[in-house]
Amino acid sequence: MVAWAKEGHEAAFRELIRRYERPVFALVYRMVRDRALAEDLSQETFIKVLNALASYNPDYKFSSWIFKIANNAAIDHIRKKDLDTLSLDGAPDADTPDAIKATQLQIGTGGESPLDEVASKELGSAIERAISKLRPEYRACILLRFVEGYSYEEIADVMEIPLGTVKTYIHRARNELREHLADRRPETPPAKAP
Amino acid sequence: MSDLTMQHLTTEELELWAQGLLGAARTMHLTECTLCFAEAQQERRLHLTLSQLPLFAPRAGFADRVMAQVKVPKTSGEFRA
Repeated sequence: MVAWAKEGHEAAFRELIRRYERPVFALVYRMVRDRALAEDLSQETFIKVLNALASYNPDYKFSSWIFKIANNAAIDHIRKKDLDTLSLDGAPDADTPDAIKATQLQIGTGGESPLDEVASKELGSAIERAISKLRPEYRACILLRFVEGYSYEEIADVMEIPLGTVKTYIHRARNELREHLADRRPETPPAKAP
Repeated sequence: MSDLTMQHLTTEELELWAQGLLGAARTMHLTECTLCFAEAQQERRLHLTLSQLPLFAPRAGFADRVMAQVKVPKTSGEFRA
C-alpha cells in the first residue's frame, strides 16, 4: 500500500488513512483526553507522515512509524501543557519513597470545558480513569501493548527507548492498573429512582 | 514435582497465561501455587478489561481534512495538491 502511495495514487493515501485513523486517534485521545485536540494531533500526524512518504524506510513497519510520530506529538503536548498526568509511581527511575513523592505529577485543578465533559463521558469508566492516571510514558506502553497488541520490541522501537525500559514501564503500569482493578468490584449501573 | 512446576511464573509468563499462550508444563505450576494463581487471575482480569476498551474514531471527513494538506507525488516526481 505504501509503495502504491509512493507512486502517486491518491486512493492509496486514503486507504492508509482509513486503516490507521482509528488506532492513531484512539491512542492520542487516550493520551491527551481531549477529543478536539486529539483530532488536531492525529491530523498533524497523518499530514507529517504522508508528506514524508518518500523518506519512509520499508525495512520498518509503517504502523510503527506512524505510532511513533503520533505518540511523540501527544507526549510533547502533555509535557508542554502539563495536563493531568498524575503517576502513582513518580519518575521511572525514582527508587525511594522520597524520590517517588518528589517526582509525582499533580492533577490539574482547572474547570471542565464542554469538550472536557465529552471526554469525561467517553473516558469515564474506571479503567479509563486508571489509565489516565498513569504517567504518559507508561500509558503509551500499556496502550500499545494491550490495546494495539504490539510486542515489547516494537514498543521499544516506537518509543525509542531500550527494551528493558519498556519492560519496567509495563511492569509498573500493569501493577498500578491491577491494583486499581483488585480494589473494586465490577461496575454496575446506578439504580434508577422510582 | 519437576523444577519447572516449582518455579514461580515470571511477569512475561503470567501475561502469556492470560492470553492462553503459556505451555502446559509451566501452567501446571498454577495448580500448585496459590500465590501465582491469584496473580494470574488478576492478570487475566486486566487483559480482559483492556481488551474491552471501546474503539474511538475521529469525526467524519477526517481523511478529507488530511488529504487537503497532503501533497500527492506525480509519477513524474512532481507534487500535486
